[in-house]
Amino acid sequence: MLEPVMFTGGLYKHDLVLELVEDLGGYILQKNVTQTEIILLLLVPSEDMNALEILSRELRGELVRAPLAGTEVAVVTPTLAIHHLPHVACDTAEYLRRHGSKTNMIGMARGVGREIAQINEYETALINEHDAAVFIFGNFGDCIKKKEQLYRNISVPVIVTGGPKMKKEDLPYAFGYVPSIGRMAHRTRKATEIATLDNIVEMVGRALDQTRAAITKDPLTTSPPRVMDAVREQVPEVEFSYSPLPIALNLNGVRVKLPYQLYKDKLAAVTFDEGVRLGEVATIRPSRMKDYILVRILPSSETGFVF
Amino acid sequence: MDPMEVFKIEVTGEEEYGAKKYREIIMDILQDLGLIRSIGRLYVYVDITIPVFAVYGLLRSGIPPLTVKDVGDVMRVGGGHQIKINDEEHMADLLKALWKRYGRERVEQPARDVVIIASDTPPSDLMVTDMEAEFLQDLTDALVRIAPEGFRNRRNVMTKDSFFFIAAEESIKPELISEIEEKIREMENA
Repeated sequence: MLEPVMFTGGLYKHDLVLELVEDLGGYILQKNVTQTEIILLLLVPSEDMNALEILSRELRGELVRAPLAGTEVAVVTPTLAIHHLPHVACDTAEYLRRHGSKTNMIGMARGVGREIAQINEYETALINEHDAAVFIFGNFGDCIKKKEQLYRNISVPVIVTGGPKMKKEDLPYAFGYVPSIGRMAHRTRKATEIATLDNIVEMVGRALDQTRAAITKDPLTTSPPRVMDAVREQVPEVEFSYSPLPIALNLNGVRVKLPYQLYKDKLAAVTFDEGVRLGEVATIRPSRMKDYILVRILPSSETGFVF
Repeated sequence: MDPMEVFKIEVTGEEEYGAKKYREIIMDILQDLGLIRSIGRLYVYVDITIPVFAVYGLLRSGIPPLTVKDVGDVMRVGGGHQIKINDEEHMADLLKALWKRYGRERVEQPARDVVIIASDTPPSDLMVTDMEAEFLQDLTDALVRIAPEGFRNRRNVMTKDSFFFIAAEESIKPELISEIEEKIREMENA
């Protein structure tokens, strides 16, 4: 089984880590260089974890488990105005990132208010491209209950956050509810506030585990990290994409950040060692996010094989 | 401890948490904008079933306008007056006021913090900026920030020593205003 971990350390000799992970048959999900520091998100076979731990100790790096690595989470706020940002939404997004997830912040066009809140088809479809969504609501219980219509049609697990304590039966369409983080005008710095952020990460982790369990019942034809590796090798243009993460991983596919019209055929022609082409085991369609390409791997019940 | 004499917040329904949190939000925003010392009493009334958000506040005694002698030292020099600036924050306003009074050709700035005016009348009492107008502008900004975002219909009445702000999702009718005024009066007398 592959274990998701985050390596933080100096830039010097970090290629040793990359080489080791490749030798062990793991995957490099993300590489972030900040001046002399580097943050690597890795998938490493759990039985070989020890080798990486020894190397990271030698390099004076830090190795922590990143339970959300390889997933994309949407942090949704009613709008992008000062009332909702920056504190609660940005802190939540940043905290999720620290635990390895790729987090996108989405501000709705007309999500404000109690009676007038709306979500449109495009926003719903965009949120549905993620693996889970965190909806950030305010301090009034009545409003949180009324705003249920915003996420009722979303098919990925939705975690709602808000101020007051709520009963589970009040929010039947949400996967879970995390209280005591409603609207506020200061940074999350107190121990209780940080603990609330931990609760959100834990709840998101549980939602993703549920999706993973559902996938194992009808496994994907191939794994998303493998698709990522093959695309990176056979479509070298992806490395020239300006996006910090040119291939974003989801639980059931990948998002390739290249123009759809120009690269869809090239992507479909990506061939694996077994001789299978990507177009045969996955659907390739335009993503709702910019002009990107969304690859969704088909389950084995549709293709009839797993490799 | 609240720096205000009175700070009451009332929210209808079972929303104690909301009331407590909005208290924090109001304090945070007023502190951020440096307004907290100018407000004496504050009454906040929220009815989430309508929904409406109202704030009534009494201001502390008026702020005098800022004059030239507040921002620097005025000295008599040969051929005019010299101002040695101590508070650079209002430099732009100061120059604007001097240009308007004396004309650009008579205002000279040989160094960053020195302005010389070729005039015999001392500029000491010339008004640099109206602090009260600035304060009222900041206060309106604070109220818009405090009110929940969806409450887009707003009504703001400001007098010399008080302000009364209502924000609602639906249009604000006269009956609603008088109802809220009544509620706030009750809070004042309680």
